Amino acid sequence: MSAGVRARRPATPPLGLSNVTPSAHRYPPSLSRKDDLDADARRQAASKGYGPGHKGHAPGGLDITSGEWKLLVIVLIVATLVRLFRISHPPSVVFDEVHFGKFAGRYIKTRYFVDVHPPLAKLLITAAAFLFGFDGDFDFKDIGKEFVNVPYVAMRMVPATLGVATIPLAYLTLRALDCKASTALLASLFLTFENGLVTQSRHILLDSPLVFFTALTTFVFVGFSNEDRHRPFSEQWWTWLVLTGLSLGAVVSCKWVGLFTIATVGVCTILRLWLLLGDSRVSLKTWSRHFFARALCLIAIPILFYMTMFEIHFMLLGSSGDGDAFMSSEFRQTLGHGMPDTYADVAIGSQITIRHVNTQGGYLHSHLHNYPGGSGQQQITLYPHRDENNLWLVLNATVENYPQYDYEHQPIEYITHGSRIKLRHIVTDKALHSHDVRPPVSDVDFQNEVSGYGLTGFTGDLNDDWVVEIHKGDRNDKESSKRLKTLRTHFKLRHLMTGCYLFSHTVKLPEWAFDQQEVTCNKQAVKDNSLWYIETASKHPQLPPNAERVNYRIPGFLSKFWELQKVMWTTNSKLTDRHVYDSRPWSWPFLRRGINFWVKDHKQIYLIGNPFVWWSSTASVMTYILVRGFLILRAKRGYRDFENTKLVKYDMLCGFLFTGYALHYIPFFLMSRQLFLHHYFPALYFAILLSSAVFDFATSTLRPRIRLQVACVLIIVAVLTFDKFSPLAYGSPWTRSKCNKATWVKTWDFAW
Amino acid sequence: MSSEDTSARRRVAKGPGCSGGFMSGSDYDTDPLQYDDHKDGHSKLRPPIGGRVSSGRLHKPYPTPPTSISDFIHQNLEHLPPAIYTLLSCWTRFHKIGLADIVVWDEAHFGKFGSHYLKREFYFDVHPPLGKMLVAFAGLLSGYDGNFEFKSGEKYPDTVPYVAMRVMMATFGVALVPLGWYTAVELGLSPWACHLVALMVLCDVAWLCISRFILLDSMLLFFTFTTVFFLTKFHNQQYQSFSFDWWLWLALTGISIGCVTSVKWVGLFVTAVVGIYTIEDLWDKFGDLRMSTRNQLRHWGARILCLILLPILVYMTFFKLHFLILNHTGPGDAQMSSLFQAHLVGNDFWRNPLEVAYGSKITLKNMGWGGGLLHSHVQTYPSGSTQQQVTCYHYKDDNNHWLVLPRWNGPAYNPNEELRFVKNGDVIRLQHAPTTRSLHSHPIPAPITKLNYEVSCYGNSTVGDVQDHWVIEVVDDIRQGKKESLDRIRSLTTRARLRHEVLGCYLSAANKVLPQWGFKQIEVSCVKENDPDDIHTYWNVESHWNDRLPAGDVKHYKSAFLRDFWHLNVAMMTSNNALVPDPDKDDILASHPTDWPWLRLGLRMCGWGDNQPKYYLLGTPLVWWGGTLSLIVFVALLGIYLVRWQRRYVDMDATGWAHFLYVGKVAFYGWFLHYAPFFIMGRVTYLHHYLPTLYFSVLMSAHVMDHCIFSARWKEKTKRILFGVTAFAIVANFWWFRGMAWGIEGPVNEYWGLQWRKVGFFSVVMEACDDNWSAIRLSF
Repeated sequence: MSAGVRARRPATPPLGLSNVTPSAHRYPPSLSRKDDLDADARRQAASKGYGPGHKGHAPGGLDITSGEWKLLVIVLIVATLVRLFRISHPPSVVFDEVHFGKFAGRYIKTRYFVDVHPPLAKLLITAAAFLFGFDGDFDFKDIGKEFVNVPYVAMRMVPATLGVATIPLAYLTLRALDCKASTALLASLFLTFENGLVTQSRHILLDSPLVFFTALTTFVFVGFSNEDRHRPFSEQWWTWLVLTGLSLGAVVSCKWVGLFTIATVGVCTILRLWLLLGDSRVSLKTWSRHFFARALCLIAIPILFYMTMFEIHFMLLGSSGDGDAFMSSEFRQTLGHGMPDTYADVAIGSQITIRHVNTQGGYLHSHLHNYPGGSGQQQITLYPHRDENNLWLVLNATVENYPQYDYEHQPIEYITHGSRIKLRHIVTDKALHSHDVRPPVSDVDFQNEVSGYGLTGFTGDLNDDWVVEIHKGDRNDKESSKRLKTLRTHFKLRHLMTGCYLFSHTVKLPEWAFDQQEVTCNKQAVKDNSLWYIETASKHPQLPPNAERVNYRIPGFLSKFWELQKVMWTTNSKLTDRHVYDSRPWSWPFLRRGINFWVKDHKQIYLIGNPFVWWSSTASVMTYILVRGFLILRAKRGYRDFENTKLVKYDMLCGFLFTGYALHYIPFFLMSRQLFLHHYFPALYFAILLSSAVFDFATSTLRPRIRLQVACVLIIVAVLTFDKFSPLAYGSPWTRSKCNKATWVKTWDFAW
Repeated sequence: MSSEDTSARRRVAKGPGCSGGFMSGSDYDTDPLQYDDHKDGHSKLRPPIGGRVSSGRLHKPYPTPPTSISDFIHQNLEHLPPAIYTLLSCWTRFHKIGLADIVVWDEAHFGKFGSHYLKREFYFDVHPPLGKMLVAFAGLLSGYDGNFEFKSGEKYPDTVPYVAMRVMMATFGVALVPLGWYTAVELGLSPWACHLVALMVLCDVAWLCISRFILLDSMLLFFTFTTVFFLTKFHNQQYQSFSFDWWLWLALTGISIGCVTSVKWVGLFVTAVVGIYTIEDLWDKFGDLRMSTRNQLRHWGARILCLILLPILVYMTFFKLHFLILNHTGPGDAQMSSLFQAHLVGNDFWRNPLEVAYGSKITLKNMGWGGGLLHSHVQTYPSGSTQQQVTCYHYKDDNNHWLVLPRWNGPAYNPNEELRFVKNGDVIRLQHAPTTRSLHSHPIPAPITKLNYEVSCYGNSTVGDVQDHWVIEVVDDIRQGKKESLDRIRSLTTRARLRHEVLGCYLSAANKVLPQWGFKQIEVSCVKENDPDDIHTYWNVESHWNDRLPAGDVKHYKSAFLRDFWHLNVAMMTSNNALVPDPDKDDILASHPTDWPWLRLGLRMCGWGDNQPKYYLLGTPLVWWGGTLSLIVFVALLGIYLVRWQRRYVDMDATGWAHFLYVGKVAFYGWFLHYAPFFIMGRVTYLHHYLPTLYFSVLMSAHVMDHCIFSARWKEKTKRILFGVTAFAIVANFWWFRGMAWGIEGPVNEYWGLQWRKVGFFSVVMEACDDNWSAIRLSF
């Protein structure tokens, strides 16, 4: 890159990582059009046949001729054909349709479920399913199960349509980024014939909507940046800005990966604001208008959009389902089957059920089965459902002969901080007991076993005694911090003899305890897991019939929303099991391995990219990194490459796309959860745009005709490669020899 | 700030000619003025016009040699304050140092490790050896014989000169104070700020407390301080490149890095500070067009030599010493390779018959880092096949013994026939000696690593099937080299893999711990992917018994230092990462990194009986809070300056800016690099991990105070008053909390409860700040 000195103002840089150009903030732009163009732009304008008197600027910086629109329609038709070809095949469940098809059924049946992804894409799929009469009865149980009574084509059409729509967006984005038409055409056709994107968009999966909204966000943001250089605060400017905000909301409502798109837009916006700050012609007042407009539209609007999606989600899912077990009791109160009101006061002699606060394990439970090891006494567990066996009787441990203690006639005795009590399991007449025996699963020295011990008529021993320690009461009920009250008081139970605390954690007991949750007594208990509360209390004989009753407080939208976010986060980070087809991020750019989606009757659907498109996109990313690194070194050595207008233009263009790529790719290295090849798709989108930008740069000195010819050759290679692997995308018949021949890389495990 | 500030603090209007040059927001906009005088196409930047844009201490001309005593005193007057501070430091560090005549806190570990050196027994610990060798050296100097067990809380017998040992450890703590002072001087801080640094180092109770016992932290702190000190010294030599002093300070920095990492791996963080400084320095040099290529290369070479090779050499030297001293068997043997163990006095591996034959009884050791011996016991898997468990186990036990037998469908082993040696590629069967079952695998997922096959023990001495067959694949032999020249399996030195004949999977033990039903031993599984470089599938014969073969000779079993060095380091790393807190256990000693900067809780170092002196590791709150606050202030200041710079205000001249950034960077990078990694680490963290970090926040508080008060345009009187108040507050604060480091005698309840409540404003601050503290106070 020789730095032939062209001491001239830089070309109007492309958007995104754009900077302050000298003419950016003149109201109105006063220079004549001719002077506004540098040599590159003038040549470009000439190549398009514009005269020098061409009008100021097009909306969003999109200068598209009617010929191009026709071209775009043709591309769209091709893309539709490629994406929708035999979309009804196979008529059975493919890969993660198991989940997302099932979720659509849940929405239609309004049964509550929990998924790690936000609702937007699932809602779109549900809408299609609902319109075409899906009743939600099909269970999408296993991969390969034949569809019965499911409008699965309509459901698949949602991702497919969005997949088709991605292609013109890519075209327009590159055009708005000031690339040539042939470049934009190349990118859109590369995307059209990308086997991975095709495969992914033909099934009921979330990645196609995700890529679509990522593309949409990129496009509107580029449009906004173009407007921003011309006329800030105009009506158009606001439109593009609001659209960017909405689109950001949509992308993050599909999958949390959308946060990376937000990061991309955020980085570019911060940079733009920083440069504006350095422009001494922009007053601080104007600058703060810029700042607040962006804060409003790029932060507040996406959050609102995201929350609206969850509001719809909650509105649809009104009844209980298999997601209940993840949620708190308050939350479950909103899902049908609420608990009836219960008595608020607890005293010696009350019959109560006790729940664990921090886990959703359920009620303190015992049943007529003994521990197979340890003390061999009766099991104590946590059980999630309401049951007779959850009932405990509170007794006073400080009186002699306590089982005969006449609480029905003695004055009522509330339970306060420091009360010594015994808990009697009503059904089996055993006392809650602990002793210096290791528990069955958590066999460590600081844990003791908890068991049910005693006989009818036998008073038991001191190891049945527990001391109540009140942790906190309810803010609106002063009394509940002083004595135990149903639902309002969180308390700990300290074992009198050993000083350990009644404790439970998300550890399941083996089959002999029916996979219920383990309860132990922990000598060094972490506070959160040793807190309990009383869910129900029977009417104490001493209380009047009209005694105070309480129930869970129905949570508002915000607390439900926030709770669900936390549940999604923990569920997501717990997805660490290995999957047969999972892969680590470093392998994605090299397309080391695909994912087996579906195999039946010697036909297979296997997610694999178009190697030509895929590897050339990776190569262009590498090229960019190398060249940019080299330029940085040169700049440090004092070379003035960055005075070259063309170089600056491409630096901005590629820099923007590379930022998008890096922010959609590198964060995956920090994630320990199981990852799949399709997580690379948003990054791949940017990589393909980047490869087109590299093409644009490499051919920038060629005549338009030759450039088009080069593009055609590349497109033809891409189409041929696509064709070679298309049986894996469409699940169509293939010969064994062709299949074996297509195994270009040893680690592609589709041939078997 | 100098007098020209008045003119500088204004908005600079830029001429219209410059705007064109301001084309890009990237780093390449060098001084815009440069654009006006470009010369030709490949023009390079014009070198900056002479005159030094510098940071660090201002260079003073060397004084003439003193001619009289008064001259001498006058010239060295600047060393008086640090001398006084050092004396004070001696007093605080040594005061009542022998008060607790019991083993306090981690003395139990480090005292014990010191004893191992004196007795020359091999032990294993997660920390590198230098600190513990110094402990042992202190013991040696003071006449300790190494025979005390150092049980926690036990009373020292008369034979253990614990006071002398503690004094030697505390000497490192004493040295922190002058180091702090001179570092501040070298950083170019004003005298006021130097006093502040020295005072804060002197008066921090946590540093004081941790230096007074037989622990590694005083040495770690000492070497951290020296590294920073040498770095600042080196920085001040930047205009005398390749002079003697330049080489001296560079080399000392390197040696100091080597020492600090040889005490604890936390030293790598200060190494990272030096690394960042060096990279930035070299990057600037790369942009210096006046420097010849030869000089560029010399700079690079000097850095690589002194900051990479020298520290590695120092680090390895200490390990070499470690191996040389510890030449007897001891508690740490099992962590090392079989071959290494063969050399320890008291070990009999070298008696192993050399080559394994059918009918031999052997133990197999996994060669993965920290790998154990192949083990089986009568307990069965609770799930999967429910056959007998096979695990990896670290201790010697009869359940580790396996018999090498031929395959089922071949001729059976006959003890009377001719001896047959096991060869590379042979199919063998391994029979567990105590239970007579055979090592077996089948296509059932392993209990933890579900992608692998389960390995179990199955059948008995007469019943079995083809799934008991394993193919021996020799990888290489440590003594004899590549496998081509090998034929037989040698004990200790041959590395081999065991392939399941039917399934084609490899026997592996990859440090996955089984749950309680497997007694927390290591899972053994059969891995499907054939990765020839996976060291977890490598096994060697550790013990070997065969009456029909002659005993071996030690000369066959030589071990290479580099291999042992690497092995030990990886084993240390693995055990360090295994120090993961149990989520169910509330460890009152542990704390989370977020608790440290605001000193939310301390660390109880010993029992709280009424009759013993009690120590509580808690910093001087003013020093800790001030440090954290100054970090925030610095970041805020930097932000404000940058925004103003972007708006074309000039707040400081180039020198002022360079100084502000240089000191700020050393302190901020230092603090950040010593703090942030603790968030990523999975292991359990304690308050004392923050102690090296604290140093950088102390430097930062002095720097910020210096920038905002002592070097700013205040009246001299104001400066004095502000300094006086700060210094007094620090000393008073120290005096208040001194008991925690010097030992609290008598029942805590009366003593502390009373004292802490007396201080009005202070206890209010503490209570408002956090409830943990008041909780501790309640428990006193």
